[in-house]
Amino acid sequence: MTAGSTVARIPDTGADQPRRLLRLVERGAIAGTTPAKLRLLLIGVLALSLIWGAVAAWTVAAHASATANVLSVSEQLSLDAQQIYRSLSDADATDAAAFLSGGLEPLSLRHRYQADIAQAARRLEAATAAAGNSAAGSRLATLAAELPVYTGLVETARADNRLGLPVGAAYLRQASEVMRARLLPAARDLYAQENAQLAAANNQATGIPYLALTVAAITGFGLLWSQLWLTRRTNRLVNSGLLLATVAGLVMLIWLVSALSIARTHLISARDRGSAPVEALARADIAALQAHADESLTLIDRSGDDSFQQDFLVWQKRLGPGRGTLLTFAASLAQGSPGGSRARAAASGAPAWFAVHRRVRSLDDNGKYTAAVHLAIGSGPADSGGLFGRIDTDLTDAIAADQSAFRTAAVAGQNDLAGLEAGIIVLSVLMAAGCAWGLSRRLAEYR
Amino acid sequence: MATWRHCRLMLAAAAAAGAALCGPAGLQALARAPSARQPAQARLAAHFRSGTQSAPCDPTASLRPVGPPAVTPGSYMATIRARGYLIAGVDQSTYHFGYLNPLDGQIEGFDIDMLHAVAAAIFGNPDKIRFVSVSDAQRIPAIRSGKVDIVAHTMTITCARLRQVDFSTVYLDAAQRVLVLRNSPAASLHDLRGHKICATSGSTSLAYTRKYFGSARPDSAVPVPYWTDCLVLLQEGKVAAISTDDTILAGLAAQDPETKIIGPPLTSEPYGLASSLHHPDFVRFVNAVLAQMRADGQWAAIYKHWISSRVPPPPPARYRS
Repeated sequence: MTAGSTVARIPDTGADQPRRLLRLVERGAIAGTTPAKLRLLLIGVLALSLIWGAVAAWTVAAHASATANVLSVSEQLSLDAQQIYRSLSDADATDAAAFLSGGLEPLSLRHRYQADIAQAARRLEAATAAAGNSAAGSRLATLAAELPVYTGLVETARADNRLGLPVGAAYLRQASEVMRARLLPAARDLYAQENAQLAAANNQATGIPYLALTVAAITGFGLLWSQLWLTRRTNRLVNSGLLLATVAGLVMLIWLVSALSIARTHLISARDRGSAPVEALARADIAALQAHADESLTLIDRSGDDSFQQDFLVWQKRLGPGRGTLLTFAASLAQGSPGGSRARAAASGAPAWFAVHRRVRSLDDNGKYTAAVHLAIGSGPADSGGLFGRIDTDLTDAIAADQSAFRTAAVAGQNDLAGLEAGIIVLSVLMAAGCAWGLSRRLAEYR
Repeated sequence: MATWRHCRLMLAAAAAAGAALCGPAGLQALARAPSARQPAQARLAAHFRSGTQSAPCDPTASLRPVGPPAVTPGSYMATIRARGYLIAGVDQSTYHFGYLNPLDGQIEGFDIDMLHAVAAAIFGNPDKIRFVSVSDAQRIPAIRSGKVDIVAHTMTITCARLRQVDFSTVYLDAAQRVLVLRNSPAASLHDLRGHKICATSGSTSLAYTRKYFGSARPDSAVPVPYWTDCLVLLQEGKVAAISTDDTILAGLAAQDPETKIIGPPLTSEPYGLASSLHHPDFVRFVNAVLAQMRADGQWAAIYKHWISSRVPPPPPARYRS
């Protein structure tokens, strides 16, 4: 960026002047003599070479920085936001399942809850450090303020549960309320925001460099015209200096265009086989987690007002599979990506889970509460908990696979631009030198 | 708390021998309360004379049973038996009355044992019950919509409620009092003017508290779904007191040794088992079960297990003429 802008500043001030002078030369208004015209031509082609070099260098710098932004800032923030959202949803579901197990919660669920909270806190800190005072600030502040409130309520609930006190359930209800009314919406908004930024950064990095192409065309035309003019005036077919400048300019153009298009292909692949499926998969995974939490909360609540069950049905409908559903959409986006097969497995596993969920509900509705609880939280292949677990594992594996595909492709895209900026500076200096050398030799003939 | 649980274990294991030695202050207070109170009927009569009810009505009188409990063909009990289980609307958050024991995931308590007795009379098996947890506000709608057969939920019999659902004879007498933190200077509800007081929505306690402070302080009573939600608010300092039946307060006090029950009994709250107005045969059946429990000592055993080792005589059954 710095190199580009300093180079760009020098010719900017005189950019208009040589062109006006050129027009004056043509009309013969000033310095009607050939040496004077040659001198003006020299200034003109020198300026064109430097402008083209500056614009090309600036374009490369802009694309390189956008690519770096995609890779190191936006993707990281989006990943942090995704992990915060996922960890919180998982904590909600795990906590409900642990409560449902009654008495001493299974150690595995306790560890999972602890890992979720630790992960959420770690990612929250990283995201806060990286976000600075961006628009994400207020969401991050909400998350930072409410997370300790949530964990405090959960631990109070746990202590009361250990004593066999029903007030523990009230603390758990309040914790779940904090999670669902404040933490999860903030995490969801943050994720949406960071994803939009990632998409914007990607668009910037894969944009077509119209300015550079226009300047390249003007420069090419200028050099060609100069050579035709010289041929007419000097009766020499080729001016080797200008030819050298033209070749250098052409090499710059070809290098720039090919490097940018290869980088663009890599970045588009990073998006299509990486970040886009990752986002869709993450949304499906979080929806599955919330449905899983709803299943447990329905059994915990027992109030018969079935709001959690209604919520489950909403998630079930959104998960699919089927046209326009989260799982099918994620599987179609992930098709051909490394996570494709796991995404398909998750989509095809969902109906079995929902079928067992219906059995859980019918057991509960027929007064077989204990059997319903066992079917809901069991981790066997025929239990609701186990079937959900398989979908969750499939989705998280697919996310991990596509995440690494994203990184590989984006790093390749970044490497495509390596050395290009330095090369462009060298070539544009060569261009200017060629112009100067070629024209000063003609000029010397008049002394 | 540990002492109370220990106490319950001892009760279960070795009858009543050591029971009087333990038990939290709240429950002791509750045990004393009935003897300190004036007879329920007299207070109710005074209540009605004060002009709060428009129609003359005796809420504690219920339908007379026809002999011992029997499932006659064509009766509602026969419908329940054919279904295979009794559907009962219960509380899952009122300690010692109807609560989900987090240690074993079972719903337990005094009210729940009343239901086990009804189920035993229908099926010969006390466990053939499907529990539906309902909040205070959902109790009457749950019965009227037919979602539940019966509600056992620390539910006060009132004339207004009798127009919507039917009640059994009184199975427990309670009275509204106040629970505050132990360091509170308040001695009664009167001292809490200007403070926030928690009660569940749809409860007689919420209505009484609102009436007590009048329309000048419409925000004095904070409604929540469950009584344990009130305890959370009290522990977090968001309300200054909880006001409801001493029975419920004793259960809350047993969960937090830093609380105390204060003030005189404010109201009379005779509890009944509620069921639909459309099934008088079922009301008579339930009354027959209750009559049996009063007579054979089952009521006293349940009282001793859940409330106090000092067992008062059960509330006498009164029937409509």
